[in-house]
Amino acid sequence: MSSTTDNDNRPGFAVTTTALAVVVFLQIPVIVVVLAAFSTTSYLTIPPRGLTLAWFGKVLTDPTYLAAIRISLLLACGSTVISLVLGVAAAYALFRRALPGSEAITSVLMAPLILPAVVIGVALLQYYSLTGLRGSLFGLLMAHVVITVPYIVRSALASLAGLDLAVEEAARVLGANGFDAFRLVTLPLIQPGLVAGALFAFITSLDNVPVTIFLIGANQTTLPVLIFSSVEMGIDPSVAAVSTLLIVATGIILLIADRRAGFHRFV
Amino acid sequence: MSALSFEQLGKAYGSDDVVTDVSLTIRQGEFVSLLGPSGCGKTTILRMVAGLVAPSRGRILLGTEDITALPPNKRGLGLVFQSYALFPHLTVFENVAFGLRRRKVTGAELDRRVREALARVRLEAYGERFPRQLSGGQQQRVAIARALAPQPRVLLFDEPLSNLDAQLRDSMQIELKRLQRDLGITTLFVTHDQSEALSMSDRVGVMARGVMQQFATPEDIYHRPATGFVASFIGKPNRLSGVVAARDGKGGSLRLGSQLVLNASSIDQPEGAKVDVVIRQEAIRLRSGDPEPGALAGTIALRSFSGARVQYVVKLTEGVELIAETASSGPDSVLATGTLVSLTIDAGSVFAMADHGAVV
Amino acid sequence: MIASRHGLMLIAPLMLVLAAFFLLPVVMMLPTSFREYAPGAGLVPGVWTTENYARIVTDDYYREVIWRTMGLGLFVTLACLLLGYPLAFLIARGPERWRVPLILLVIFPMMLNLVVRSFGWIALLANRGLVNNLLIQLGLISTPLKLMFNLTGLMIGLTHIYLPFMVLMLVAAIRNVPRHVEAAAATLGSSRLHVFTAVTLPLSAPGILAGSILVFVLTISALVTPRMLGGPTYKVMATLIYDEFMQLLDWPSGSALSFALTAMAIGVIWLSSRLTRRWAGMA
Repeated sequence: MSSTTDNDNRPGFAVTTTALAVVVFLQIPVIVVVLAAFSTTSYLTIPPRGLTLAWFGKVLTDPTYLAAIRISLLLACGSTVISLVLGVAAAYALFRRALPGSEAITSVLMAPLILPAVVIGVALLQYYSLTGLRGSLFGLLMAHVVITVPYIVRSALASLAGLDLAVEEAARVLGANGFDAFRLVTLPLIQPGLVAGALFAFITSLDNVPVTIFLIGANQTTLPVLIFSSVEMGIDPSVAAVSTLLIVATGIILLIADRRAGFHRFV
Repeated sequence: MSALSFEQLGKAYGSDDVVTDVSLTIRQGEFVSLLGPSGCGKTTILRMVAGLVAPSRGRILLGTEDITALPPNKRGLGLVFQSYALFPHLTVFENVAFGLRRRKVTGAELDRRVREALARVRLEAYGERFPRQLSGGQQQRVAIARALAPQPRVLLFDEPLSNLDAQLRDSMQIELKRLQRDLGITTLFVTHDQSEALSMSDRVGVMARGVMQQFATPEDIYHRPATGFVASFIGKPNRLSGVVAARDGKGGSLRLGSQLVLNASSIDQPEGAKVDVVIRQEAIRLRSGDPEPGALAGTIALRSFSGARVQYVVKLTEGVELIAETASSGPDSVLATGTLVSLTIDAGSVFAMADHGAVV
Repeated sequence: MIASRHGLMLIAPLMLVLAAFFLLPVVMMLPTSFREYAPGAGLVPGVWTTENYARIVTDDYYREVIWRTMGLGLFVTLACLLLGYPLAFLIARGPERWRVPLILLVIFPMMLNLVVRSFGWIALLANRGLVNNLLIQLGLISTPLKLMFNLTGLMIGLTHIYLPFMVLMLVAAIRNVPRHVEAAAATLGSSRLHVFTAVTLPLSAPGILAGSILVFVLTISALVTPRMLGGPTYKVMATLIYDEFMQLLDWPSGSALSFALTAMAIGVIWLSSRLTRRWAGMA
């Protein structure tokens, strides 16, 4: 088998350089944002005119930014947890074929991924206006559950598919009731996949603008919506600063997820 | 005193009858095998006993207790799976401890019982390993220790040896039998391998298409098959079409073709009936030379030597062929092709069956 | 072997949440799309009309926006394919120790906040942005290039955003191409290019299709990037819907547009699944 890796069909020089150029292309905006965060001028030059940490200080003390960060984190954590509970239960029921029409049900569960996010946003806008939920944290939370739960269901189903059913049966015969068998055997075995799904869900919620922007009330906003509206009003390096904080946070989470759960296997 | 019994046990999926009307009584400490080709229902019965499949009809009794409606975790049984089904995320120790923990056994007692179980399968030193670090045979033994640790009332095996290579299988058979003897634990063993079932069991239940064909000791199964299926499934049979030539008390004679006549000591079809004639390969005795009175004449057409045994394809008159198997008792005892031989078949080893003997 | 009623209990909570916060809201938009909106007064009571839908195909402005959206979808998909395939090939077939770092470098921008990425492109493409400053400094141009608020800026930005999706799907597809088939072709005399065009490319076609569908649907649904890089005047369907709801307050028209966009997305997906099934039949 090792001979097949020797000479056949390895990427040539042209392919490799193009590919690496694309990798660099992918990182460019990220680098630019980080540079802008440290720049003394409000426009960007290469090389930058001066470096400063002032913008970070401004962001971390600004009450608007802090409030937005707080709400974003609340929504992301809350919706991820709720989606995990609801989604894993649903995926398990589907996996054990305890339901008729499981194909139709799975399609319904995945539907929020297919529908354009903006359509979900405006639909909820109208609905919340009618039901008085507009601007409520609960309404926002439920909206975020809707857009994150498909990722959980998908990763749970994928992880469950790789399980040997006999392992759960063995646990049952050995004296575990249904819930214990799930908790002690199935759950630990699907955990890596679930961690990946939860990460996707968390970031989807943290990232979201097209649904959130229609549903926020007068005095509340989330971080991405705040950055979105700030940019509309002109580039301010404090936007770059808070963006850099997000970049660093995302990078750290990604590294941890890959170390702990081999995240790259699940995308 | 019955340890495990079924009363008219049945299972159907829609209109498909997988198990039909099986009734059985297993005594305390007995080793019983369920034997049959794949799809005969033996595994379904085992899973019904374990509580993983709900019966459509009938009852299952453990001692005097009706367990038919009990969920699997309340039955106090042990089950060894074909794929072992060890918990990959737990150590060997924790695998074996699992059933004990569910029974709220902890601390020193847990420790002692786990080590005891591991010692019984000679894996004391492997407690801290993970299943993926063990060989197939070792995983098997962990699966056995895990099932035994909670001291189940009955031990169930679902074709546990079919994933092992031949040599390992032989040694495991002996080890399992010895373990069962030492513990005196009632055992129900499912397999499709007849030599396994015959060599390990106190009694064997042969099944075909969901129906229990015969439930008897290995000797009875082999020498006194109750149905055509059993006769053709056990041992190595010749199966030929024939006619009942004459009836004489319990037995009579059967005619193959137009001239060959064999005596059979047990026939239940009337004279003239078309039957399947079943003759065990091991029951045919060959001698080179002209046929003695009462014996048949034939020529050796093909010879297959496999070490301890030799198989001969013998051509008789009218193109009838029989396969005979004998022990090879020395390098010069093997008969060469073309030799004229005389075949003697004991009437007790010739069976006439009306059904065509379902064989896979 | 799990009771039906347990299965129902496990899935009911999720189904209820989706019914209440997804299905119902979307379905309730349907009647709204047939109502009429009077500016400053709200919905005209009792009036039902198909005008909102008719306007989509008859009005020049709407038609332009739709064509622009579809065209953008096509361009971006193509660009992602052309840029993404070499990278996917490198990840799938390149040195083993490059694989994980490369995948992480692809995932990282994908996980990054969409707004942040779009902001990065603004910083690059604006009239006083990095690209223009650099080009002016090097003396290559004297006045800034208009890279934003037009098709160019949107194309570049959207390609960047959705490239990781395409790459990851292509990696999976290329890894599924059996290498011994390629080896067989090579021994039969194929050059490396021919092995690629005759074996690798066709066999990775399902992945190419899947990735293309994904990127296309994502592109035509995009709101944030087109809004940030296209500005308030250069519209695509999603930003048009945004304006109808937030600026013009014409909810009926916005609802009709929403269903139109949804129909386009679902139509494309359905078409591709028909294609896949035909191809699978031919394989």
